[in-house]
Amino acid sequence: MSGAYSSRPQGSRLADLLGSHAQLLSIAGFFLIMVVIFSIASPVFLSAGNILNLVRQTAPILIVATAMTFVITTGGIDLSVGSVVALINASAAILLQAGMPWPLAVIGLILLGAALGATQGWFIAYQGIQAFIVTLAGLSALRGIALLMTEGFSIPISTDLGFVSIGRGWFLGVPAPTWLALIVAVLGFVIFWGTRFGRYVTAIGANQEAARRSGIATKRIILWVYVLTGVASAVAGIVIAARLGSGSSNAAVGFELEVIAAVVLGGTSLMGGRGSIFGTVLGALTIGVIGNGLILAHVSPFFTQIVTGAIILLAVWLNAQVFSRLASSSKRAN
Amino acid sequence: MTGIQASGAAQAAPHPRIALSGIRKRFGSVEAIRGVDLALYPGECVGLVGDNAAGKSTLTKIISGTYVPDEGSIAINGETVRFATPADARKHHIEMVYQDLSLCDTIDVAGNLFLGREPLSGPFLDRKAMREGARAMLERLEIKIPNLDALVAQLSGGQRQSIAIARAAAFDPHVLIMDEPTSALAVKEVEAVLSLINRVKAKGVTVVLITHRLQDLFNVCDRIVVMYEGLKVAERSIAETDLTDLVSLIVGKGHGTGGKA
Repeated sequence: MSGAYSSRPQGSRLADLLGSHAQLLSIAGFFLIMVVIFSIASPVFLSAGNILNLVRQTAPILIVATAMTFVITTGGIDLSVGSVVALINASAAILLQAGMPWPLAVIGLILLGAALGATQGWFIAYQGIQAFIVTLAGLSALRGIALLMTEGFSIPISTDLGFVSIGRGWFLGVPAPTWLALIVAVLGFVIFWGTRFGRYVTAIGANQEAARRSGIATKRIILWVYVLTGVASAVAGIVIAARLGSGSSNAAVGFELEVIAAVVLGGTSLMGGRGSIFGTVLGALTIGVIGNGLILAHVSPFFTQIVTGAIILLAVWLNAQVFSRLASSSKRAN
Repeated sequence: MTGIQASGAAQAAPHPRIALSGIRKRFGSVEAIRGVDLALYPGECVGLVGDNAAGKSTLTKIISGTYVPDEGSIAINGETVRFATPADARKHHIEMVYQDLSLCDTIDVAGNLFLGREPLSGPFLDRKAMREGARAMLERLEIKIPNLDALVAQLSGGQRQSIAIARAAAFDPHVLIMDEPTSALAVKEVEAVLSLINRVKAKGVTVVLITHRLQDLFNVCDRIVVMYEGLKVAERSIAETDLTDLVSLIVGKGHGTGGKA
């Protein structure tokens, strides 16, 4: 219509599409490269047994990373997830040892996770304290509570209980935790992509004041995303307790960093406004593959942390530099 | 209060569409609005002019619920209301085009147009309805945006501004506030916005227009309100003022000599 607009090059659509999915393509490519490298390094890596083991071990990361994608997309962060996992993990063992019926205990623990998330979310959304600070306090205090409750000891969970099947059971040839993680990821994807809530999470991360001016109850949405990480951490804590058959305040140390790494690897922006559940799934699997593959390749466990850190930095660097540059140069070429 | 009552803009309506009285707003030590009364009637366009930091944007943001005034009251059709959030103002059909546009860069064009009132099918976003609605909205305003799936971040300044205008105008506003809506627009698009204002006025919408392009005011406004340092210093019907009069009022030379009632 107006001359100023018609000069916009047509056909940039494909480049835009590539550009907007560059991060997803990059993490998918990186994931495949890791799989290829480790399958060459160890013949066991691609065996069915190892793959099922891998997806079972990755389940807690994937469950929490799905919720964390919502938090990070609002421009927030939740550093307390590892400590919530530990607290729920220890509480599960204590409740079961006290003789509480396990279905009741599971429901109670999930509600506890939701309450912990809501408390932190309230400070962040309604009191305007930075998410980093609130959840850093949560990270410290909640693990402290777990330590106090267990006095540092690991508390066994009777394997006679149906409870342990949450972590050890199988269904249709796939471990129960993997099913749980799959359900959480699909639910997360549908909510993130298809609902008003998901849309508002993105809007808040892009421009919180604009979202508020559009009549969106921004504070309530922000509170809810921390409830999501609280609930997801509770589920992860239950899964870990059931798989290991014990509860410990030392569970999931460093877990929050693995989760955040998975989300960031998946292309979700730490600045907010841009997130991808599918990317998070790939990111979590990549973290799982690296951990599992290094063990199979007989790399010293002391090296594992170094290599993991280096690989994550490399992946994010590739993502930021190479792929986004490719995307923008292909746009210019059109 | 040194406000001058406009006698020219005779209004027959029993109640103003929206009436502000004694509005005050303070930011820290700065009193941005120092007691403003303002009545806006259906079907009129009121131009709000003043120097930078005169309080124009603050006043309009109070009407749109973005700021809560420290003192004073707002009445809609004679009924006192209190806006705690922009959502409350939206419920009363008050829409605003913000100076900063208030768009979400990482959301597509259709998503921005429908932000906060997305059509649903069941529990899910109805993307098809959003895209079709967006196309219709933009066509009505004669705005050409080739790709509705494009993220707003990828658009030009003029396109972004057009989207902000379309969003405010599309949802049956009773009061439409526009804060510098034409600053990034080309000549033809400015014309489209001015004719939009005349169209919605004819439908009984109250329009508040903030602009530095004073000549535009004479094309669409019925009254002009001049603000100076957080006060309403003059109120003129368009027939009894001209460009030089306005300029002297804005810079602060005219008020006091402008025929105090």
